[in-house]
Formats: sequence, structure tokens, C-alpha cells
Amino acid sequence: MNSDLVARYNYDEFTPEKFLPWMRFESSPQLGEKGPDFSLWELDGTETTLSECWSGYAYLIVEFGSFT
Amino acid sequence: MNEIANQYAEQGVGSIFLYTHEPHPGENYSHLTSMEQKFNHARDLRDKLGVNRSILVDSLDGACHREYGSMPNMTWIFSRSGIPVYKSDWTDAASVANAVDYFVGVRQRRRDGERLAPFQVQRLDFHNQDWDAFYEGLARNGPKAVREVDEAFE
Repeated sequence: MNSDLVARYNYDEFTPEKFLPWMRFESSPQLGEKGPDFSLWELDGTETTLSECWSGYAYLIVEFGSFT
Repeated sequence: MNEIANQYAEQGVGSIFLYTHEPHPGENYSHLTSMEQKFNHARDLRDKLGVNRSILVDSLDGACHREYGSMPNMTWIFSRSGIPVYKSDWTDAASVANAVDYFVGVRQRRRDGERLAPFQVQRLDFHNQDWDAFYEGLARNGPKAVREVDEAFE
């Protein structure tokens, strides 16, 4: 894993030069085209994928966020 | 959003919370440097903030979050085949419920024999700006988080 990317993504202070580069909604995937899949982890450490999640439901709501 | 998850669960609609990074790191919840720390913060989201949906954790470099636009609190809705049918750069329960109602209706209309084709639509939705709650959350993270927001927007 790219340690520089990890540090920039997990920035240590909320300053425009650190958080603005990540506000990239305009370049996110298009509606109507299959979304990219990624590994994710349950709270017990079990690995799963986003596609395993969406394939289990007619529709899947995914809220992205964090404690802070 | 917990209520929406419960409200639509019997209509084949799933709901997850995907843990990303800390947009407002503070003394109590600092920026992430390990997956162990990320799991601990995600558990606090469940235990202290009451998120009772399934919580999944992204990789430490935010691979999934970054690909989908890396906004701090966005919501996407996917169909069973993985096609995004809704995306919002901010999470608002009323907006999500409105969208889910529509998509559940689409399923029923197809069952009823309607031949439906997708089309693109753009729309501005609106959410309440609850600054008291926002600052309450920042204070929970620590004084640093409050100070940095004040400085960023002064």
C-alpha cells in the first residue's frame, strides 16, 4: 500500500489544502453503468466485497462516512 | 438513516454504512494510521452514535471511497446488478427515502407489466443545516476539530 497516499487520504488536519483535493464527486462513476467493486471488511475483520453486498438486495443504500 | 433501513428492509432494500476516513480529526479521534484504529473508530460509530446498520470498513487508503468521489458523507444506491441508480454528495434521509420510494415503485410497475427504460435526471435536493449538531459533533472529536473548521471557513 502506498504510504504517501495513505497519509494524504488520512490527513491530520482539516485545512483546505488537505481536504479539498478529496472532494471529487464530479469525477465519480456515472449512474446507469456498473459500479467498480472493492474489498471491504466487516467489524470482525471478515473480508467481503461491495458486489457481495449489492447482489443481496433489490437495492442497496450505501452511506459513506465516519465518526468525525 | 437507521429508520430508513428498517422501513424498507422488507421491500428488498438493504442498507450499509461504509467507514471511510476522519474529515475532522481531533484529540479524541485523530487521523487514521492503521486498520486497527479504523476498526475501533467504526465500532464507536456503532456503540456511541447508534448506527445499527451493517458497518463495513474501507481499506486504509480509502480505495472504494476515493473511487466514488470521496465526499465526507455521501450516499449511493445500487441495483442488484451493481448499477448506481442514485448518488448524492451529501446524505439526507428525506432525499434517500424519496429515491427509494421511486425505485421500489419501479419494481412494482415492472411486475405490473409496464415496459420501462431508464433516463438520466439531475435535481437539487435540500437538507437542514443544523449547525448546533455539527459543532456538537466537532466538539466530540476534540477542540482541534472545532478550531480547524472555524479557521477554514473564517
